Parts: sequence; structure tokens; C-alpha cells
Amino acid sequence: MSAVRPASTDELFAILLARDLRPEDRTIMVGANMPMARAAAMLAGMTTHPDARILIGLGVQSLGGADEAPPVHPFLFDPRTLEAESLMYQSRVFDDMSRPDVFFVGGLQLDQRGNLNLFGIPDGEGGWKMRGPGGLALSTMSTHCRGYYVVMPRHDARTWVSRVSLITALGDATERERLRFPGGGIRLVLSPYGVFDFDPAGDMRVRSLHEGVDPDEVQAATGFPLNIPADVPRTVAPSEEELRILREQVDVHGTLAG
Amino acid sequence: MSTAAAGERRPVLASLDEALAVVQDGATIGIGGAVTAGHPMALVRALARRGVRDLTVVAPVGGIEVDLLIAAGCVKTVVGAYVGMEVVAAVGPVFRRAAQSGAVEVVELDEAHALLGLRAAAQELPFLPWRGGVGTSFSQLNPTLVEFDDPVRGEPLLAIPAIELDVALIHAETADRFGNAQWAGTGNMDMQLGAAAKHVVLQVDRVVSNTEIRRFPERTFFWRETAVVHAPFGTHPYSSGSMTADEQHLRDFAAAARAGDEAVADYMNRHVLDVEDDVAYLEEIGIRRISSLLV
Repeated sequence: MSAVRPASTDELFAILLARDLRPEDRTIMVGANMPMARAAAMLAGMTTHPDARILIGLGVQSLGGADEAPPVHPFLFDPRTLEAESLMYQSRVFDDMSRPDVFFVGGLQLDQRGNLNLFGIPDGEGGWKMRGPGGLALSTMSTHCRGYYVVMPRHDARTWVSRVSLITALGDATERERLRFPGGGIRLVLSPYGVFDFDPAGDMRVRSLHEGVDPDEVQAATGFPLNIPADVPRTVAPSEEELRILREQVDVHGTLAG
Repeated sequence: MSTAAAGERRPVLASLDEALAVVQDGATIGIGGAVTAGHPMALVRALARRGVRDLTVVAPVGGIEVDLLIAAGCVKTVVGAYVGMEVVAAVGPVFRRAAQSGAVEVVELDEAHALLGLRAAAQELPFLPWRGGVGTSFSQLNPTLVEFDDPVRGEPLLAIPAIELDVALIHAETADRFGNAQWAGTGNMDMQLGAAAKHVVLQVDRVVSNTEIRRFPERTFFWRETAVVHAPFGTHPYSSGSMTADEQHLRDFAAAARAGDEAVADYMNRHVLDVEDDVAYLEEIGIRRISSLLV
């Protein structure tokens, strides 16, 4: 057996995201500050999704047949991302809301119903206890995309709350249906403890726990009662081949190695 | 008769200060660019030096330009979807403090709302409908966004009110002296900001001939009232089509902003307020640094 270094949390996230993409996903959008999502999109584009168009920064990339991922730059809208097959005009993205299939997002707060808050924590008197990044395009993308993935590097009871203070992206499946949202909503939530989705009533449920995590531990870190199936599966660990491609062809500078 | 002397075409080149004279206290200004790309920083620095007051700043996806104007005491209200420096500072540090203390009012928008609001203004409409934001806290945080049932299919939608600008400040790579502008990249929301504004003040890296512009007419944008300012490297510390953002400078600014008001004042004096013009600003940054950013 070769001694392959175990996956870091970000490497695990990237591989789990890439695995979960659906065959029909053709337009994948990657935002700022999510290197694991960028790596997931690249990994899929170079393996399972050769037809995918990946929107990164100012450009649109297509990686079918590529043996190397495009270079990583310090900022999303680096001018070198203009070396692309098409450009990402903000206006054109919003002019064709049927096109983006998938995007990825994190949040300050996530609740039992899948609602996300990026606005910040209000002080209860019309001001802010902590002002967050703001709306970005999260409301729009979460309303329209075929599906989105929530990546939460932090999993504690302050972040995973029974009800978010403010809603930036409405995840609640019941509300989404009532309001006739065209998009498919949250596909998965990833945390350092496990993989989560939502039960038929729209409450968060454990889909799998990562190696070494027990159900009591994840419940203790969550500010609401999790739906934990009796026989909860283990997350299928990254294979050596998945890690090899990720490290040698996608994340060549080891950004995710942590 | 003087009218018989068929006129020369009117050039619209101006100095920074001449062009910015249209910005009055209390004006609503739009600032182009997005995240770390294409902000018209030479215009922003000159405006901060002039010390205009009570501006409403529309920055769809804003950055340090909002921080600088707040630090210079020019801003009453910020309208937009984001103010920050991405990996350097998830929230612009001066903006965050001002928003938390209530020193500036924040009008929250989704990025698409910013586009729709500018379009509504350009189309001389009171609002345009949008779905993103329905069912969220947007209409609570920003009461100008109104949920309504659409009269055609009865679906719940959000009315995005027109964002009418007095002046749009925009960066483009090139323009001719008649105000025909061309970008190297996408132009972000600059075209829509220009279309929503009574006046456009355009800073460009290069002023080129009309013949040069005519080589790529499909890239040209123009507006009714435009002033063109020549400001090479004028997006620094942000990127243009030929220059990357200056990560070190942004980190230094973020560190100063986190250190407190005194450190911000030092930055402002050194780079914005006690600077004669944008050439003096670039001299202070230095040719070695600038050349290291060119792609």
C-alpha cells in the first residue's frame, strides 16, 4: 500500500462536492472565497463533467480533455481570468436565469430549515451587533439555480441555529414551494462532521457522518434537534485515485491541504 | 452667421477636478467596477480630496472605494450588495464600523437588484420586477423593496425601485476624446451605471484616436453627457485589463483600518488627502510596485 496522506477537510469537501454533481449539470458557478468549491468544479470538469462550463471570476472555462486546471489567482476577478472561452458579464448572467445549474455558498448562520444568513447579526434595535458580507447575489442564485451546495467550515451551536436572525437565501422547502421558486434548493450541506440533507418535512437530517464522528458529538454541536437516522452511514472516504487527481492536476499548489 | 460654420465635433476631455465638478454635496453617485476589479480609483481619490458631503454611493459590488469615501467623511448612504476585499477582508473594515455604528445608512440589495434598479432608471420606469429576494429579509432591511403579486400570473415578486444617479464614475481601458468608451473585459455593471446617470465621468488608462475606436465598434459604449479623464493606472490598488490588484497595498489598508481611526487617517493623508494629484499618488506607490502588477 502506498502511504497516501489522508484528506484535509477542504480536500474532503472538494471531493464530496464533485461526486455529488449530477450528469445534467452543465453550468457551474464558483464565487469568491470558496477554494474547495473551485477545486470541486475543476475536478468534475476534468473527469465526470467534460461538457460543463465553469464560471470563475471574469471568465468561463471548459475543461473537457484538459490535463491541468487553470491557474489560481489571489482574487476572483483577476484580469488573467479573461483568458477564457467566454466572459462572465454580470448582466448576461441575470438575463438568463435558467442557465446556471449549480453554485456553492457558505454562511454566517444556517438553520434547521436550510435558511442562510449572510447579512449579519442584528442588535435588536435596528442596528448591527455584527455586520456580515451582505446580500451578494445569494438570494437570486438560490431562487433560480437547479441546486446549490452549502459548505460550512464551522459547525457549532452559534452557527447552526434553530432559526437564522435574517434570511439571505431561503432554503425552507415548504416556503420555496409556496412562493413558487423555480430553483431546486439545497442539495447538500457539508461540515467537518458530516453530510446533511433535508427530510420530507424540510428539516435537516444527517446523511452521513465522516470517519471518527459519532452522532452525539454532531448533535451537541448543533443548535437544533437533528434528524439522525438510527443506522447512520459513514461518509465514503476519498479514494487514492480521487486524491491523486485532486492533488496532482487540480490543487497543484496545495491550497486545500491545510 | 456663426451657426453656419458647421461645427467641429466637441471634445469632452477634462482634468480630474474639472470632470468631478458635476458632483455636488448630497448627490447620488454610482461607482463602477466589481470586487477587486475596475473601480475608478483616481476619480474616487480626487472626490475624497475635494471633500464633498452627504453622498449616496451606489456601489453594486463595492470595495475600498467605499471605505475611502467614508473615511474622508463624504458618505451618508451606501447602496449595494457587498463592500469588501474578498480574501483580504470579507467586509470592508471602515464600512463595517460605519454600518455598525450607524454613521452611514446601508440600503441592502442583491447584485441582481442593483442591475434591475439601474435598468429601471435607464428605462424611465418606476421599478422592475424580480423574483430573487422574495421570502427573504430583504424587504425588512430595505423597505424600498416591495413584495407584490404580479398582475399576470399572480406570483409573489419583488418590485426593485429605479436607482437614478446624478453621476456615474466609471473606469474603462480606452476612450477617444469624444467619449466613446471601450473595455478590455466585461465592464462589470459600468454600462448600466452610465445609462442610469445624468452625467458620466469616465477615467481611462489610454485616450486613443477615433480611428482606433472604429476598429472595434462592437466594444463601444457611449452616453449622453460624458467627461473623459486620462488617468493611467488609475484603478490602483485594483485591477484593470492589464494590471492585477495590489494585494499587498490592500492588506496594508485593511491592517490600518483594523488598527483604528488614527491609522486610517495616516493612510488617507499619505495616499489620498495630502496628495496633489493622481500622478503624485502613483509616484508614492512607485514604478517598481506598479510594474510588478502588470500582466
